Amino acid sequence: MASDSNHIPLSAAQIPADDFARMRSENLARWPTGAEVDLIEAVAFQKSLPVHKQLGWVMRRAAEEGRCLTQPRGGFGTLKLQLELMQALDRDGMADIVPTTTDSYTRNEQWTQAQTGIEESEREGRSMLNGYPMVNYGPIKTRQLIEAIDKPAIVLSGTAMPRLTVEIGFAAGYSGYLGSGIAYTTSYTKDTSIAEGIRNYQYLDRLAALYLEHGVDLHRRQPGFLTGTNVPPCIAIAVGVLDALLAAGQGVRNYGLELAQTLHLIQDAAAIRVCGELAHEYLAAAGYEDMFLPVTSLHWMGAWPQDDAQCQALVAYGGTLAAVGGAVSVTTKSTHEAYGIPTPQANAEGLRTTRMAVYMARHIRLDDLPEFQTEADLLRRETRAIIDRVLEMGDGDAAIGTVKALEAGALDIPWSPNRHVQSRVMPARDVDGYLRIYDPGNLVFADDVAEVHTERLKKRAEEEGVAYDHNLAVSSVYEISEPLDRLLPFPWGE
Amino acid sequence: MGTGGQNSNRAEITLVTGVIGADTHIVGNRILSMALEEAGFKVVALGALTPADEFIKAAIETAADGIMVSSLYGQGELDCRGFRDMCVEAGLQDILLYIGGNLVVGKQDWAEVEARYRDLGFDRAFPNATRTEDVVAVLDEDFAARRQG
Repeated sequence: MASDSNHIPLSAAQIPADDFARMRSENLARWPTGAEVDLIEAVAFQKSLPVHKQLGWVMRRAAEEGRCLTQPRGGFGTLKLQLELMQALDRDGMADIVPTTTDSYTRNEQWTQAQTGIEESEREGRSMLNGYPMVNYGPIKTRQLIEAIDKPAIVLSGTAMPRLTVEIGFAAGYSGYLGSGIAYTTSYTKDTSIAEGIRNYQYLDRLAALYLEHGVDLHRRQPGFLTGTNVPPCIAIAVGVLDALLAAGQGVRNYGLELAQTLHLIQDAAAIRVCGELAHEYLAAAGYEDMFLPVTSLHWMGAWPQDDAQCQALVAYGGTLAAVGGAVSVTTKSTHEAYGIPTPQANAEGLRTTRMAVYMARHIRLDDLPEFQTEADLLRRETRAIIDRVLEMGDGDAAIGTVKALEAGALDIPWSPNRHVQSRVMPARDVDGYLRIYDPGNLVFADDVAEVHTERLKKRAEEEGVAYDHNLAVSSVYEISEPLDRLLPFPWGE
Repeated sequence: MGTGGQNSNRAEITLVTGVIGADTHIVGNRILSMALEEAGFKVVALGALTPADEFIKAAIETAADGIMVSSLYGQGELDCRGFRDMCVEAGLQDILLYIGGNLVVGKQDWAEVEARYRDLGFDRAFPNATRTEDVVAVLDEDFAARRQG
């Protein structure tokens, strides 16, 4: 997929203009709808959208006004189903940002299989794909989706191979795009090298920057949830900052960072604060002082309970956590999460439940609490230790440092499917519900920082009367999906 | 978990595990593989993003007794078309086929989903959130029946 750029040695430097022009024409020739992409015409279409339908502008306004915007996920296998979904999310769900999730064949560039999926979906009258096959429909047809809503739209496509999808998406009028080289390659691929994934997203970021050079302020966003399974905030923030450095290198200036909720009120608020702070610090140190780096909080990304009532609590609490933490937007889920993809109605309800929680929590901040400050200090030290070591391994180059550090485990992602990631780090919940690290693998923290993790986890094992072993990590994967009679039974009955 | 050794036959049983198709949801599959190993089975773990034919190739190479397919992303129905036929063509008529996870797009009646996967040739289908100890119990039952039958 990246053979056309493999002659350029991996680095965080900007892709030269002539190389990029050649890469683009090779890329657009890979599927017939690529021929519909014309950058100048696409720029004109983007500029013709009212500002409230341009996510770059909307995110900046939300940050200025201290708003926490709501955004769901959502994608179906045909244009008709996708259009109905986006209208439902916009109108019934009051989504501030309307998504289009692509299907997994599209994400893996299996467009022939995606075509079969469209045909089968039409035949069966239900979506056989888990998202919208954007490349197959192409930018001209896909503009119907943008025209059908009155909000900005974002592409959600969990893949290490986004090159053609992003061309189609930006040309269709999407003003936001989620995805990044380090996060998605480590979380969505098995064999893809980290270098290849980074190169693919350097292409994407270069394209976004090209639109910016033509006066279109697109919102790029980094998918900080990684594998979605108990990712400690220090790892999420470290990866987010490194991905942001790579994007800035290509010329991107409007770059959001995501954090999956740990579900601990203090830890999540501290993480949102420290994420924004360290992102600005490291980007400025690299010479990028004009970056806009808003933080998005994500509803629980691990396994969900089967019970709708329990899910409602996670949805509402997720809105609270985002608002209290001061996130600029929150990405929502619904009561159908345990079963996979929600109906438009369930998805819209998740948005409204979240919105009400955001409204109620909008004035509350925890920043002055001693527990908050302790946690934020700990998190700063953990995160700096990781980022500094990565940059050191790359002699200051984030791309080279990341590849080397992942190989060595100096940067590590829990539960990664990718062979080029050590994935030895094992997170677990501690005695007070904070997400800690049971086994750091080859991550190196200061002794007193590591001691906090070990001590708090040993306390949990002691309190629960279980062994201090890897099952602390495994049970933390399941915990939130357990039924209430296991989590919190009435303890005094017969 | 933790019942390894009680069933001495487990060490003679080889199971291929993996997540089928373009699906990256590795966590449950990795925990299942760990639990099967702890219970004493021989496990060949193929990991995430495994095409159907790789399951079959691995089953032939390791003379496996069962294939445990995971699918979490909703597109399992498309990925599993013809899976049993491919096994038969490869000479694996007798292999036990299991599947578990979020097997369709969205919330659908489980009995219907299960029937659909039985029609696709799977011996058993497990809903999302099945615990590993329950899977081990079912495997013991199925392989015991096979020995007697």
